[in-house]
Amino acid sequence: MNFKAVTYILGWILNIEGALLLLPFCVGLIYGEPQAYSFLIMAVVCVAIGGISIFKKPKNLTFYTREGFAVTALTWIVMSLFGCIPFVINGDIPNFTNALFETVSGFTTTGASILDDVEALSHASLFWRSFTHWIGGMGVLVFLLALLPMTGGSHMNIMKAESPGPTVSKLLPKVRETAFVLYAIYISLTIAEFLFLIIGRMPVFDAVTTAVGTAGTGGFGIKADSMASYSPYIQWVVGVFMMLFGVNFAVYFLLYRRKFRAAASHEEARYYLIIIAIATAVITASLYITGSMPEMGLADKVRHVFFQVASIITTTGFSTIDYETLWPQFAVLILLGLMFMGACAGSTGGGIKVSRFMTLFRTVRKEITLFFHAKRVVNIKSEGKTVAPETIRSINVFICAYIFLFAASVLLISVDGYDFTTNFSAIAATINNIGPGLGKAGPSECFSLFSAFPKYIMIFDMLAGRLELYPMLILLAPEFWKNIIPKRK
Amino acid sequence: MSILNKFRGNKSKTLKIIIVGTGKVGSTIAGKLTDEGCDVTVVDKNREVVEKLAETYDIMGVVGNGSSYGTLIEAGVENADLIIAVTDSDELNLLCCTLAKKVGDCTAVARVRDPDYSDELAYLRDKLGISIIINPELEAAREISRILHFPLAISVNSFAKGSAELIRFKIPAGNYLDGMKLMSFQNNKDFNILICVVERGDMIAIPNGEFELRSGDIISFIATPHDAFAFFKKINVETRDVNSAMIIGGGKTSYYLARLLSHAGMQVKIIEIDPDRCEELSTLLPDDVVIVNGNGTDEALLSQEDLAHAGALIPLTGIDEENVLLSLYGMKVSPGIKAITKVNHINFSSVINELELGSVVYPRRMTAETIIKYVRAKKNSLGSDIITLYHLANDRVEAIEFDVHDELKHTGKPLKDLKLKNNLLVACIYRDGRAFIPGGNDMLCPGDAVTIVTTHRGLSSIEEIFE
Repeated sequence: MNFKAVTYILGWILNIEGALLLLPFCVGLIYGEPQAYSFLIMAVVCVAIGGISIFKKPKNLTFYTREGFAVTALTWIVMSLFGCIPFVINGDIPNFTNALFETVSGFTTTGASILDDVEALSHASLFWRSFTHWIGGMGVLVFLLALLPMTGGSHMNIMKAESPGPTVSKLLPKVRETAFVLYAIYISLTIAEFLFLIIGRMPVFDAVTTAVGTAGTGGFGIKADSMASYSPYIQWVVGVFMMLFGVNFAVYFLLYRRKFRAAASHEEARYYLIIIAIATAVITASLYITGSMPEMGLADKVRHVFFQVASIITTTGFSTIDYETLWPQFAVLILLGLMFMGACAGSTGGGIKVSRFMTLFRTVRKEITLFFHAKRVVNIKSEGKTVAPETIRSINVFICAYIFLFAASVLLISVDGYDFTTNFSAIAATINNIGPGLGKAGPSECFSLFSAFPKYIMIFDMLAGRLELYPMLILLAPEFWKNIIPKRK
Repeated sequence: MSILNKFRGNKSKTLKIIIVGTGKVGSTIAGKLTDEGCDVTVVDKNREVVEKLAETYDIMGVVGNGSSYGTLIEAGVENADLIIAVTDSDELNLLCCTLAKKVGDCTAVARVRDPDYSDELAYLRDKLGISIIINPELEAAREISRILHFPLAISVNSFAKGSAELIRFKIPAGNYLDGMKLMSFQNNKDFNILICVVERGDMIAIPNGEFELRSGDIISFIATPHDAFAFFKKINVETRDVNSAMIIGGGKTSYYLARLLSHAGMQVKIIEIDPDRCEELSTLLPDDVVIVNGNGTDEALLSQEDLAHAGALIPLTGIDEENVLLSLYGMKVSPGIKAITKVNHINFSSVINELELGSVVYPRRMTAETIIKYVRAKKNSLGSDIITLYHLANDRVEAIEFDVHDELKHTGKPLKDLKLKNNLLVACIYRDGRAFIPGGNDMLCPGDAVTIVTTHRGLSSIEEIFE
């Protein structure tokens, strides 16, 4: 393993984080809050440590797959560790475990919070909490790729590890330019949402935090009732933008290139939108059948249903109502299913991803066909192209690893003695980077009721979910540590 | 990506290049062109190769048939500047280029190497609108025949329409040049040569007058063919004219080489294992070329065919290891023999360089050089400036021949008054059909072709040689 190169990259990451920490500092200055200085202190610390690490550029900056995975996992851990310290220093979240949970939840765009009273936080802390979503949504390594010149395929090995989805497809021949385009789309959409929110007379601070929280499909609200107290217009804007950030960014690139037909025939995006439409329709119908929320008209019902569906499928986790108590069980279980579905590959959303489900579904269909025609040759296609057997294998293995990790996590957090719904949905909400689960981890509750050990399990799951398992699982492999820990004689 | 260029303040435009075919040549070019800063997309039917290549270099891969419309569109032919077709099949390459030309109006480069077409290249080029047709086998054969004219040279690259040669040569132990300063050298009227590059171990220098030569140095000097002969005579190294050559393997390169050599009056013997190919060669080649059907790696056959008395041994089999062993064996049997080894795969080149193999030719590299030359010329706005380009000394030095155009501001001034970049040498000027080594008082004139040698990489126009 090329540790010098890994350290060098981590140094760069710290420098970037140091620069980003100045933003909450500025926000704090605007509101005249003493808490702001904790961010300045941490910015200086980050830049100092980062500066030392990048002082000497290693001769060999080649990244193979293993380095790519290792640097990705370590980047996210280091960023979270440094990013949580300001909360501890300024006393907004004095407990380290809680601060780390909150920060990891932010960077991984989960949005699960341990705060009982969000509104008590300083503006600086609130801003940083939401802004971590924005940083984590696109991935900070992708940003680094746009800046750092590297040799040969090294870029690709890092991008592979950080980007969500079964396969990585570049939009342009060069990784740097691809990263640039992705960030350009990301920033434009964020600004667009901000403007729409401002038009809806949302206060500027709320608009900024909501926009960055939606962009990363994060879900940290700055109010205790998340989005419930805003006007229907704002709820529509947030709902639509959540949906837009869950679309594969390649579609936007095609639109920018004026390849409308190719964009319209993007299979994954199409299925994703169809799923949202069907889920919204079915849940609305179920509300009428069971007579839930009788005081609302059709428009309000559709708005709330669409908002929750978009929020859950994109793994954002904002909410406008407490669906768990107001909706029939059938509707809640549809939402639970959407938690696992997740958004499109190549978006900022989490979960298992629509494209993986597409391929899995087709694999199952192929097996069934083969029962009837044993010798039939069936190709599994996706986006009009045959899926390589290695990709299918890796998707199958991904699902297995996902189930193992899921089962183990549910078991481990059950030590706190809560009911099955709470445990199951808490892991579903963290591993899929959604935020609120069900039961005691539901949308109107928070994660502070768990003790420290389950919190660390969920921290691991959030990171594993965001990085698509392998970068985090590699840290569990003894082989990885063999060269780091000196051998005892 | 135009926004990105604006963002970076980058003036020269990024070339978008599609490479169809990811064989030996295709993958080498992909790597080299990425280094040149181009946006490269590779197309091949073989998914594994494409994926591996896309992981090795920062390029995009498209799996599909490169001569189908859909695949070309997917690879972005509409916006491409250049398409390079280097699949195994000549016909596919031509079809692919013709199609790309119709769809995207990009410049097309095709590899066509079958001797059946080699005489019709000019016609194909004009009628199909293809810009360059490359034939690595023919290029390799030409380089080998050039080396055979200077048997002491490791490699010979020619400039100025063949009237100047850049010769790479290793100073033997105890030679007259050992310990000599370049200054004393250039004052000597008998040495009308210019030493451009000296390689000593890992060090590479563009030497000045104070530089002292040692035995074991590998020098690259530029001279007219006549002066080069005179130089070799003067420094008293024993030369032996090569008038017979033994070629092992009867592939396309062998065919082109045999034709060139026999035309130059040399005795040529080809040993080829496949009887059908032997029949074919004997019909295609002139009668004075001896074609032997047998296994070229069979020691008994080699001695029977009188390897010990051959002037040159040129192993051109498809297997690099065999070529290397044959050269080593040849030099053992007959110490004075000139061996020229063809290496197709450039893996382990550091090991190959350490072996005493005599001369080594890399057809792959030559193709890449031809294409890079073309790409650089395209990159600069003034159009075709570069006439020839060679990579020397493990790619660390470039020798480039530029066309001096009318708008150049630096014409008509003595060279000693011009501020040239460091580590850059004006090695040769070609004017009115004659090449000469310029002194401080010589001037550049419009219409000249000037050859420079430099450690700077990526020069693409003559303006860039000045500070």
